[in-house]
Amino acid sequence: MSYSHLKSSTYRNTIHFPVRTSAGEMLSNLLPIRTHIVRHSLLLALSFLVALPCFAQDWIRTGTGLGVEKVRLAASDFKPSTQDPKNADLLKAFNDTLWNDLDNAGIFDMVSKSFYPLEVPGNPSEVRFEAWNGPPTNASMLAFGDLGVTGNNVLVHGWLYDVKNTASPQVLGKQYTDAATTDGARLIAHRFANEIIFRLGGGVAGICESKIYFVSDRSGHKEIWEMDYDGSNQHQLTHIGTISLSPRISPDGSRLAFSSLNKSGWDIMMYSTELGRTVSFPRFGATNLSPTWSPDGTHIAFSSSRGGEPNIYVADASGGNSHRLTTDRGPDVGPTFNRKTGTQIAFVSGRTGLPQIYTMEADGTNVQRVTDQGYAVSPSWSPNGQFLTFSWFRKYGAGAPGANDIYLMDIASKQWVQLTHDGGRNDFPSWSPDGRHIVFQSSRSGTEQIWTMLADGTKVQQLTFSGHNTQPNWSWK
Amino acid sequence: MPADAEIFFEHAKLGRPLLASVGLHLGLTVVAVLLSMYSGRRGDMWGAGGGGDAIGVSLVSNVPLPASPVQTQNVVANESKGLTKSQPQEKQNEPDAIPIPDKNTKIKAKPAVSATKAKPKPEPEPETNEIPYGQGGPVSGPYGTFSAAGAKGGFGFQGGGGDFGSTYAWYVRVVQQKVSENWLKYEIDPSIHKANRVYLTFDITRSGQPTHVQVEQSSGVPSLDQSAVRAIQRIDTFGPLPPEYSGSKVTVEFWFDYMR
Repeated sequence: MSYSHLKSSTYRNTIHFPVRTSAGEMLSNLLPIRTHIVRHSLLLALSFLVALPCFAQDWIRTGTGLGVEKVRLAASDFKPSTQDPKNADLLKAFNDTLWNDLDNAGIFDMVSKSFYPLEVPGNPSEVRFEAWNGPPTNASMLAFGDLGVTGNNVLVHGWLYDVKNTASPQVLGKQYTDAATTDGARLIAHRFANEIIFRLGGGVAGICESKIYFVSDRSGHKEIWEMDYDGSNQHQLTHIGTISLSPRISPDGSRLAFSSLNKSGWDIMMYSTELGRTVSFPRFGATNLSPTWSPDGTHIAFSSSRGGEPNIYVADASGGNSHRLTTDRGPDVGPTFNRKTGTQIAFVSGRTGLPQIYTMEADGTNVQRVTDQGYAVSPSWSPNGQFLTFSWFRKYGAGAPGANDIYLMDIASKQWVQLTHDGGRNDFPSWSPDGRHIVFQSSRSGTEQIWTMLADGTKVQQLTFSGHNTQPNWSWK
Repeated sequence: MPADAEIFFEHAKLGRPLLASVGLHLGLTVVAVLLSMYSGRRGDMWGAGGGGDAIGVSLVSNVPLPASPVQTQNVVANESKGLTKSQPQEKQNEPDAIPIPDKNTKIKAKPAVSATKAKPKPEPEPETNEIPYGQGGPVSGPYGTFSAAGAKGGFGFQGGGGDFGSTYAWYVRVVQQKVSENWLKYEIDPSIHKANRVYLTFDITRSGQPTHVQVEQSSGVPSLDQSAVRAIQRIDTFGPLPPEYSGSKVTVEFWFDYMR
C-alpha cells in the first residue's frame, strides 16, 4: 500500500465523519456512544492539527531499494597555472597520487581517463558539463583544478563538481599551498583526496594520510618499520638489533608498543614517534607478547606468562597498575579491544587444544568462544565495532583441505565470510581507520609481504616487495 | 419529596446536548474542510522532483563500502562478477509414446538397422571456467545475504528554507547509501518474507548527526520497524551538512522496503 493512499484516506475520514453521525442518527444513539463519537472526532481533528506540515525546514524523502551504487567519479589531470619548469614533475606526482587515492578509497567507480574529453578544465569556467555527464564519460562527479609553482612554493586549486547537477554543481572548492617538492605535491594530493572521500563517503575521514607499521628483516634483524598507506615512503623506526615483533600504534599516533627480545626474555617496549626513540616502559619478567591499545589510549592489554601460563593482562598506558584478566590454564595471547566501545576484548586461547578466538568484557568476565573449529589466530576488531577479522585454518591437520586465510565475522550474528583464497598463507589482518580496508600479510608472491584489500575481499594490492615483511598494523587515523 | 420517588419517569432532556453536539460537529467540519484546503501537501509525489534516477535492485551491505552491483550468495571473495546471463536450459527429449497395437493392421517388418549408422554422440560440454551468474563478485556474507526489493522510487524534496534536495543532491545520495549500509537485515524476523514499507523520519544536525528518529508509519512487523530505527541509530554521522547551506538541520523521511 502506498503512503499517499493512506494519507488521502485519512483526509476522507476526517471530512466524512461528521456527516455520517448526522442529527437524525444521533437521536437513536445512546449517550455513551455519542460521547465516544464526539471524543473520536475530536481526537481525529487534533491529530490532524498535529500532523500539519512544518514549513520551517528542508525535507528529504528517500528510501532503500533505489539502487545505491558507487559514485562514478572522473579525476582529470590538473593543469599547470604558471610557467615554472618544476611544474611537470610535481604535476605528475600530484596527479598519480590523487588518482591512486581516489581509486583505493573503495567507494568510487573511477572513470578511465581514456573516456575523458580532449579538453580538460583547469578552473570552473572551463567545465563543459555535457562533455562529462553524457556518454562516453557518464561521470556524476568531476575532480579538477590547477597547480603552479612560484618560487619555493606550490599553489594548488582543486574543485569537485557534481556534473549532473548543472544548476549548482560545486561540492568542493579548495586551495592548498606547500613546499615545491614532490613530497609536498603528494601531501596536497592526499589532503584533497581525503576531503573528497570525506564529503562523498558520509563523514568517514579518508585514510590517505594514515600509516602502516610492520616488521621487516631488510636491515638484517627484525625491526619495526613505517610506511604510508599506499606503500610509499618505507623507512625503519627501531634499531634494537635483536627481534622485534607485533607493533601496535597508539590511537593518537604518538607511541608505538611492540614486543622485543632482550637478555631477560620477551618484553613490551615503547617507541615514541615524536621523539624518534624508544622510551622507558616497565619490564614484567617472563615472556610478554602482543600488546594492544584501548581505543581511548589509556590502557594496554598484553599477554604475559609471569603467573606461569601465558594469560591476558591489562595495564595503564604507562605500564603501571597491571592486573590479570584471564585465569585459565591454556595459553591466552593476541588481545584486541573493541575499537568502538573499548568494553570488550577479543583474544586467542588454546584452552581447548588448537587456538580459537574468544571474546570477553574488558574486566575479564563473560568469556565466549567465537570460532567453532580449526585453527584461528590474529583477531582484529573493526573501527565500527561490528566485525572481527582474523586468520583461520577452517580445517586443520595433515591433508586437510583449505589453507590459512583471512576471514571476516559479524560479531552479533556469528556469520562469516572468507576474504582471501587461493593465495599462500595469509595472516595478521589489521583494519584501516575508515573500516573499508584491511592490511594483511601474505606469502602468495613467494615470500611474506604486506598486502591490502577492501573489506569485501576485492582490490588486493601488494605494498612491500623486498625482504620479509610481516605483522602489519594500520594507524588509527 | 416522597421517599419512593419514581426515577424511571424522569426523562433525560436531550435538547441542549443535541444542539451542542450538532454545533460542535458543524464546527469540526468547517475546520477540517478549511485545513484540507489550506494546508496543502508536504512534498512532491514519490518519483517526482529532481533527484536521482529510480533504478532497481540493490544489495545492502554494511561493511562501509557501496553495495555490490551483483548479488551473490557466496562466502568467498571474488573479483569476477560472473557471466551476465544465465545458462540456457537443457533440452529434454520426451520419449515417443508407444502406439497401442491394432489387431487389424499387418505387422510390417521393420527395416533392418544398418550397422554402420552412428549412434548420436553426446554433445561435448563446452570447457569453461567461467563463473556462473550470481556466483561471482565481492562476498556478501554477514552483511547482505538478503537482497533488497527491487522497488521503484524517487526523491521528493520541498522546503521553505531552500531546496536542499536539488541543490545538494550528492548529500541526499550519501544519506541513502549510509542508511542502506547500516541496515542489518538479519535483525528482522526470519519468518517474514514481505512486509509493507516502513517510514521513518529523522533530523540531521549541522554536524551530520541523526537525531529524533521516529517511526512515521509502521510496517506492521515490529522487528522490521526496530531494525530500521536501529539502522539510523547506528550511524554516528552522515558528514557535516554542506557549509554553504544556511539551515540548522534537515529533516529526512526514509522508507525501507523489505522482501526476501
